[in-house]
Amino acid sequence: LPAGLSQWFPALEVLDVSGTGLAEMGTELLSLPCLHTLLAKNNRLGGPGSLPKGLGQAPLARSLRVLNLSGNRFSEVPPALLRLRGLRSLSLGGNRLHSIPPDIQELHSLEFLYLGGNFITAIPPELAKLPSLRYLVLCDNKIQSIPPQLAQLHSLRSLSLHNNLLTYLPREILNLVHLEELSLRGNPLVVRFVRDLTYNPPSLQELAGRTVKTRNVPYAPSDLPESLVRYLSLASNCPNPKCGGVYFDSCVRQIKFVDFCGKYRLPLMHYLCSPECSSPFSSASQSSTSQSESDSEDEASVAAHRMQKVLLG
Amino acid sequence: MEQPVQTETWKARSLEELVRILHQIFAEDKVSVEEVQALMESYESNPEEWLQYAKFDQYRYTRNLVDNGNGKFNLMILCWGEGHGSSIHDHTDSHCFMKILQGNLKETLFEWPEKKGNGEMTKKSERVLRENQCAYINDSIGLHRVENISHTEPAVSLHLYSPPFDTCNTFDQRTGHKHKVTMTFYSQFGERTVC
Repeated sequence: LPAGLSQWFPALEVLDVSGTGLAEMGTELLSLPCLHTLLAKNNRLGGPGSLPKGLGQAPLARSLRVLNLSGNRFSEVPPALLRLRGLRSLSLGGNRLHSIPPDIQELHSLEFLYLGGNFITAIPPELAKLPSLRYLVLCDNKIQSIPPQLAQLHSLRSLSLHNNLLTYLPREILNLVHLEELSLRGNPLVVRFVRDLTYNPPSLQELAGRTVKTRNVPYAPSDLPESLVRYLSLASNCPNPKCGGVYFDSCVRQIKFVDFCGKYRLPLMHYLCSPECSSPFSSASQSSTSQSESDSEDEASVAAHRMQKVLLG
Repeated sequence: MEQPVQTETWKARSLEELVRILHQIFAEDKVSVEEVQALMESYESNPEEWLQYAKFDQYRYTRNLVDNGNGKFNLMILCWGEGHGSSIHDHTDSHCFMKILQGNLKETLFEWPEKKGNGEMTKKSERVLRENQCAYINDSIGLHRVENISHTEPAVSLHLYSPPFDTCNTFDQRTGHKHKVTMTFYSQFGERTVC
């Protein structure tokens, strides 16, 4: 960046230095108090001097709303970037990122996050702590699973996951009530119903715990060792609404399909408390028609109505 | 306006001229696909002429009507943000011409699924269309998916559909199941349409 930039253009609001071969952006940025949009795509940024030191204390940290660093050489999200607390839109598409830092949650004003076309293998659950996130692009990466916490992104309208390594999705994804667009093509999503037959029978402790919980057997902390009191507090509800049971450690992990508006079948991880909860499947039918799966789809179909448009393969 | 007598090789020198010639061609009973494709390709994209129609949406690609061809055709501009793509779709027995005005678009062709489709759809071919190139497709050729695979550049394309249609089928790549959808315009004649 030319020296004296902030002296000549103190009121600069939008700066586009895309496609200029920039390898670093220096201290000239720090004295631009009105800058709200910085476009620096298709450059050679990514090394140590890419962003100036002291970014967190500069006026830019509060004024910058839009930052586009796509098409550069970042192999990690520069920590300085996470100090830009006013940032609403961030693009790091087409870089060399292998991960997303958990501290991404510090960009609490973020509404638009584009991370497509990198080498990301996992999503930190902290990403879900961005309350205003509406558009999340993670396509063309190497992501193998989505953390269920992502369902906490209540503002999410569009989620782009195409061309990754996903074999299933967490059922919590149905909780994203405002989601209108979801792209999933180019993932090795399990098509056929897969049943995990390696079911470990529950322990006596587990069976006793289930009985205490489902029969509402009263107990006080003085009745039990502290470890068991704690154990009982960790009961999870069986997601099958017709069951109403609880489970602790034993569950059958099944890949199930949810039919979104009759158009698409998504495999979801359902944690059920026993194989009996999957009774529609125990009767031998090999095909995965909607009739045989209707029971467990009840809860899903309610949520499915909310997800109207699914952009898929 | 160039108008050779026998071999209709048009050269549209502006978007306005392109529309004018299209009206002329489609006023006839018979329209040649090659003629239209050559005409579309002859227009050298000039953003000044179409910027008013190129309205982008953050979340997905947009369809912006430019001209409704006296009912004979629809000419529209599609705006694709980074990573935006379409589903696999058919063209409801119409002709579809797609010309790149800016950026690049990847077109993946698919075979029609079997009647009782329950398997992965078959990819026929794929290609990346460059600026000013014009592709053509109709239902007898197959189905396609169009996407902007760039993570840094938006793309803009000019589409001609004849006859015009507002519904089509989208297909699930993994099963071949189809679903009828109604298409809408993000803007018409440069004005944002509120739906």
